[in-house]
Amino acid sequence: MQPDDPDELDPGLARDRTSLSWVRTAIAFAAVGAVLLRQQPVIGLIVLAEAPLIWALGHFISNETAPSGLPSRRLLLVTVAVTVVALLAIITVLIGHAPAGLDQLLPHHG
Amino acid sequence: MDGPRQPHGTGGGTTSSRDDRDDPKHGISGTGTEPDARFTLANERTFLAWNRTALALVVAGLGIVQLLPPFPRVPWGRHIIGIPLITLGAVMSVTAYRELRRNQMALRRGQPLPPSALPQILAATILGVAVLSGAILLASAVR
Repeated sequence: MQPDDPDELDPGLARDRTSLSWVRTAIAFAAVGAVLLRQQPVIGLIVLAEAPLIWALGHFISNETAPSGLPSRRLLLVTVAVTVVALLAIITVLIGHAPAGLDQLLPHHG
Repeated sequence: MDGPRQPHGTGGGTTSSRDDRDDPKHGISGTGTEPDARFTLANERTFLAWNRTALALVVAGLGIVQLLPPFPRVPWGRHIIGIPLITLGAVMSVTAYRELRRNQMALRRGQPLPPSALPQILAATILGVAVLSGAILLASAVR
């Protein structure tokens, strides 16, 4: 497809950098999911499932701008996803305070 | 051999400033002209980078609560540090989205980018965690 706007003819490597940035963001979601998986497997799986969604968001949807000229609403989904992760993390922290994580594995105690 | 190429493809900055500038139909958000795609992409990358930073704050809060041994005499000490970190991760993500839109508006209008509040939020978060950690350590050490 040929862009009509001459400004878009050569975004250079900027498009690649942005694509890689989406991948890094998806990996960050996966990392949070892996951390959560230890304590709350269900919540961890929910967050892990967000990682391919973020990846798809960056790869399969071209970065069109909304008719208003502002960035399209798909970027709001990233903020929504981060907020959901934060909420799930707070729930995990409040639920799982009894066994206290790695305490059992640490050699010194008391 | 290469013939003379007629279309030169000059990368000018403004393309259609005549019909969509300050058009009341578009409202405030429709003002300005489409900026260079590279600027839009850089704006998007900045937004994503702040979101990764927000996720790092969430992971830090999770790690403090789940991996640290409990503070003696301060049973909720880990939560007092961790839960604000997680909350500020969400705040940072929302702020990043607002600044993404604001910056895109400034790019469209050719104005200088407004200053970002996010570095201050991040610095204040780290300072707050440091002060809280010190206070909790003191409280758990003094018997």
